[in-house]
Amino acid sequence: MNLKDKVVLITGASRGIGAAIARKFASEGSFVIINYLSNKHLAEDIAADIETRGGQAAAIQADVTDFEQVNEMMAHIIENFGTIDVVVNNALSHYTFNPRTRKTAWEMEWDDYNQQWEGNVHGAYNICRAAMPFMKEQMYGRIINIVSNLIDFPVIPYHDYSTAKMALLGFTRNLAKELGAFGITVNAVSPGLTYPTDSSAETKDDVRESIIHLTPMRRLASPEDIAGSVLFFASDLSAFITGQCLHVDGGLVMK
Amino acid sequence: MSITVEVKVYRTPITIELKEREEIIECGESTFVMKYPIISGEDMKNIASLVKFNRSAYLASMPIAQIVEKIDLAVQKWLNPDYALRRLAEKLVPVVTGYDEEMVRLEVKRYIRTFRKKELLRFLDEEFDQPAMLDEFRPRKTGGMSRAFGPESIFHVFSGNVPGVQIWSLIMGLLVKSAAIGKTSMSEPLLPVLFAQSLAEVDERLAETIAILPWKGGTNELEEPAIEESEVVIVYGSQDTVEKVKEKVPNGKRVLSYGHKISFAMVGREALTPDHYYESIHKLTEDISVYDQQSCLTPQSVYVEEGGAISPKQFAQMLAAEMERYHKKKPRAKLSDEEAMSIQRFRNQYQLEALNNRPISVYFSSMDTSWTVIFHEEAGFAGTPLNRSIHVFSTESLEDAAAAIKPYQQFLQSCGLAVSPNRLFILADLLGSYGVNRISTIGEMNRAKPGWHHDGGFNLLDLVRIMDIERNVEQELERFDPDVE
Repeated sequence: MNLKDKVVLITGASRGIGAAIARKFASEGSFVIINYLSNKHLAEDIAADIETRGGQAAAIQADVTDFEQVNEMMAHIIENFGTIDVVVNNALSHYTFNPRTRKTAWEMEWDDYNQQWEGNVHGAYNICRAAMPFMKEQMYGRIINIVSNLIDFPVIPYHDYSTAKMALLGFTRNLAKELGAFGITVNAVSPGLTYPTDSSAETKDDVRESIIHLTPMRRLASPEDIAGSVLFFASDLSAFITGQCLHVDGGLVMK
Repeated sequence: MSITVEVKVYRTPITIELKEREEIIECGESTFVMKYPIISGEDMKNIASLVKFNRSAYLASMPIAQIVEKIDLAVQKWLNPDYALRRLAEKLVPVVTGYDEEMVRLEVKRYIRTFRKKELLRFLDEEFDQPAMLDEFRPRKTGGMSRAFGPESIFHVFSGNVPGVQIWSLIMGLLVKSAAIGKTSMSEPLLPVLFAQSLAEVDERLAETIAILPWKGGTNELEEPAIEESEVVIVYGSQDTVEKVKEKVPNGKRVLSYGHKISFAMVGREALTPDHYYESIHKLTEDISVYDQQSCLTPQSVYVEEGGAISPKQFAQMLAAEMERYHKKKPRAKLSDEEAMSIQRFRNQYQLEALNNRPISVYFSSMDTSWTVIFHEEAGFAGTPLNRSIHVFSTESLEDAAAAIKPYQQFLQSCGLAVSPNRLFILADLLGSYGVNRISTIGEMNRAKPGWHHDGGFNLLDLVRIMDIERNVEQELERFDPDVE
C-alpha cells in the first residue's frame, strides 16, 4: 500500500477506532504517532505492543483543542521524525452515546453544540493548521477526518455531536478544494455505529439490534473495518480522490 | 493500580468455619482471590443440621407473602446496574465460564427479572389454588381443609452450564419453606452464592437456612450425608450425573431430576416469505448461540419447510453467515481440547457422508470451531456436540417431519415454532403426543416463562406434601367442644 515509513499522526488513538487505525498503519510499516489526551497507560501499551510486533510507534500527549499543545506536538514530531505525511483526525470531545439519557432538541443548550464543535472541528483545525506547512513543503500529504454516518441518517438524534460532525465534513471539503493544488488530499470516513468501543458501550442491545436490522451487511462496524478505509485514503491507491466521504457502515447509508 | 478482591465461592451459616484453598484470577487491573472451601463429611453433617435448625426456628413459620417480599427485595437489588454484587458477577462470570461478557451481562439481567414479585406470585398461583395453604390449613371447595408442607430441607445438585439457573431452584426451595444445601459445579459456582449473599443483605436469618458449596461431583464423603440429611433431592445435569446421584438416594426418598434433554425448532413456509425470512434466521441464530447452546432449551436441529421465498438449503447458508456474524458480535467461549475435537469429528463425519453422495452439505467457520451448520436434504433427527453447531433438515411439510422426533420421546423438551396461527394447534397436538413439553417462539427458546412446567412437570407441587383434613372431621370434632350445645 506504499505506507512503509510514512509518518502518521492519529489523534485520540489510545482506544477504540483510533487504536485500531494505529495498529493497522503499524502493520503496514508506517511510523505511528499515537496521540492521547489522558489515557497515558493505554496509549503507551499500544505503542509498546506495536514495537514488540516489530513496528514503530510513539505515544504523545496533547489536547487537540489547544493550539499551543498541538504546535508543541507537531514540533516534536518534526524534530524527531523529520516530517508528517498523514494525519487522522479521530479525537472527539467526550461523548456518551446513550439513546435513553441523550438530550432532546428542546433540552439542548448552545454550550452543548459549542463543546462538540470545539472537540471535533477546532481539534481538526489545530492539527491541520500545524501539519499544513510541512505537507505543503513536501508537496504531499494525506488528511483524513473521522465523521459519522449519523450526519446522513440520524438513527438517534445526537444533535450536538452530529451537527459538529457535519461541520467537520464541510471543513474537509473546503480544505480539499484549497489543498489539492499542493498534492494534499483531504477526505472523510463516516463510520456507522462501531462496536465494541468505550463510546458505544452505553448504546443498549435493542438499539444495536435495530441498527443491525437496517444494515445490509447485518452487523455493526468493528474498529478494524474503519481502519481499513482510513488506510485506503492514506495510500497511493486513492491518490486522485479528495473531498470525499466514504461510508463504512455495512451499507446503512447509500448515496 | 492493581486491586485485590477476595471472593468466597461458597456460603454456609456464619457459625460454620471451613478451611479454604485459594485460586487466583487476574482480570484487567483486578486480582480476584477465589476462596474454595475444604469440606469434610463431618462438616457436611454439621452444616446440614444447622440449616435445618435455622429453618425450623425461622423460615418454617414465615408467611409465604413475607417470603415473596424478601426474595423480591433481593431481586430488586440485582436489577440495579450499579449493585456491587451484580457488577462483580458481570466481571467474574465471563472469566470463570468463558462466555462472552456482553452475553452474560444481558442474560443474567433478563433472567433475574423473571423473579420479580409479580412473577413469584405467578409461580405460586399457577400451582396452588391458594398459596396461603403453605402457611395454614385452608378450606377446600369440595369441603375439608388442606395444607401444603414443604420438605424440611432440599439437597440441590446444580449444573454449571448456564449461569444463574441455580437461583431458580433456590427460590423454589424458599417458597416451600425448605432449608437448602446446594452443590455447585466447579464450572460456575458463583451466582448462587452471590444471590444468597443478597438475601442475607435483606434478611440475615433467612440466608442462614442456605448453604452453597462447590465440590467435585461423585465425592461420596459429602454427597452421602447431604442426601441423608435432606428430605428431597433435586438434581440437574447430564444423564450420567443424574443417574449417579439417583443411585445414591435410598428408596422412598424423593428425587426430582432434570437430565439430558434435546430441543429443536420448526420454521414453516409462512415464516420464510421475503418480509420474514431474515428475521427468522436472525432469531434462530440467537437461540443457537446464547450460552453457546449449553442449555437444554436451545435447539440442536431445525426443520425448514420448502415453499418459502428461500429454500431450506439457502436457509442453511444464510444461517451459517448469520452464525459467523454472531460470533463476531459475541464470540463463543474457548473450548477444551476434547470439546474442539468432538466438533472436528462431527464435521468430518458429515463431510465424509457428503463425499459418499449423501444429500448433505456442511458449512463451518474455516479458521476455528466457532460454528457449524449441517444441511440435510432428508428429514431426520440428531443431536450435535453443542457449542454452536446445528442440523438443518429440509422437509416438504413440518407435519410430516414431526414423525422423525418420535423415537426420542424421553429426551424431547422445547420446540421453537414459526408457522401460521392455524397450524399452531395441529402441530402442538402432534408434538405433544411425541413427548415435546414446551412450544416457544423462535428467538426466545432459551427464555422459559415464569410459571412454566419444567420438563413437563410441576415446580412447587412436586416438592410439597399436601395434608388433608377430611370434611367430616371438623364437623365431628365440634361435638367435643366442651361448650357445645
